[in-house]
Amino acid sequence: MAYTTFNRNINDQLKEPMFFGNAVNVSRYDQQKYPIFEKLIEKQLSFFWRPEEIDVSKDRIDFQQLPEHEKHIFISNLKYQTLLDSVQGRSPNVALLPIVSIPELETWIETWAFSETIHSRSYTHIIRNISAEPHKIFDDIMLNERILERAVDVTRYYDDLIDGINLYQRCGEGTHQINGKTEQITLRELKKRLYLCLMSVNVLEAIRFYVSFACSFAFAERELMEGNAKIIRLIARDEALHLTGTQHMLNILASGDDDPEMAEIAKECEEESYAIFMRAAEQEKDWAAYLFKDGSMIGLNKDILCQYVEFITNSRMQAVGLKPRFATTQNPIPWINTWLVSDNVQVAPQESEISSYLVGQIDNEVDTADFGDFDL
Amino acid sequence: MPQVRINGEVVVNFDGSSPNLLQFLEQQQQAVNYQCREGFCGACRCKLLSGQISYLQEPLAFVRRGEFLPCCSIPQTDIELEIPK
Repeated sequence: MAYTTFNRNINDQLKEPMFFGNAVNVSRYDQQKYPIFEKLIEKQLSFFWRPEEIDVSKDRIDFQQLPEHEKHIFISNLKYQTLLDSVQGRSPNVALLPIVSIPELETWIETWAFSETIHSRSYTHIIRNISAEPHKIFDDIMLNERILERAVDVTRYYDDLIDGINLYQRCGEGTHQINGKTEQITLRELKKRLYLCLMSVNVLEAIRFYVSFACSFAFAERELMEGNAKIIRLIARDEALHLTGTQHMLNILASGDDDPEMAEIAKECEEESYAIFMRAAEQEKDWAAYLFKDGSMIGLNKDILCQYVEFITNSRMQAVGLKPRFATTQNPIPWINTWLVSDNVQVAPQESEISSYLVGQIDNEVDTADFGDFDL
Repeated sequence: MPQVRINGEVVVNFDGSSPNLLQFLEQQQQAVNYQCREGFCGACRCKLLSGQISYLQEPLAFVRRGEFLPCCSIPQTDIELEIPK
């Protein structure tokens, strides 16, 4: 029951469920229950980048010349993204590592959270560059009501899960007296909290980031804040991969192949899953209204952004087996896609074609035709 | 040359001038959602109603039975596909 960092039970890891089985002992990848997670790890590693590689010095000049309402849009989005990645840089580790039971998934979770910490560090890189007083921007995150409002929903499901795991691993299933309070936990309830937590993470990565992304790319379409857009593009590429990871977890759980009880739970949670999506979409629309309260920017206004939120919400719902709930079927800002194409991501000048190159990659395939023009 | 039927209407030959089905669909002026174009985001998911496709590279995105990703595939036989609305 209690968590152990090196489980002494000799178990067949291929027979463990993704979560709530035996804690992982040996981190081995010679055999994998779900090879997809190993593939995601490799992809994520091939994406590795550092914020300092991107030159943001021109952004400082651009920023100074932005009108006040556009400065508000730019800074507010950065603050919101800082909040989101603060959560994502730690919470998958804290919430999921104590309950994961297969090594490739455990390592995926760590790899995923690590890449979020790079995103966090890149916000400091951007903000330091555009402001002489970066501390004021960061300090405001904890004071800004608009941001704190959404922090509640972003973190709620994580906190519920973590709280439940603590109780379960300390005391086991049942009713317990803790500090004079009666607390109850069952494994089934924990599984439910896990499912809802993953659904909320899915929404975070699938919808919440995209309002900010759209604004960043709208600036860059006007050749403004292009250093920032390059960084956001790398972040968007990572997020698309994380989203895929979360969608895999959700879909494997919902299929019941991994743990039959989880299929029941997924059905039970359907209404709440819809509610998580719809609530996030509404909050993001409110956020769009807040961003544009003092004026729109060229190429983007509140209505267009709200339509985009609806469009993307529909498509993300379908990806996890839910039915779309909004009438919007067309992407109102199709130009955003060209910014989201993986191959267009460029980090370093020597890397002019493919962004996902592997350092020191060698092509080992040799064909007899390769020796065609050799004479001995 | 495999034939591609799109949304139950248009039938076009896949003549190999496009490297994958996503580009092919775009050439036919069909609006398909996309993002990464590398098979890891899953934004371009379409329904495969009949026939077979083969993947140029195995997609990382979750693909349900009856669905496929046009960004990293080509038709193997005549196919019928549906672009989600």
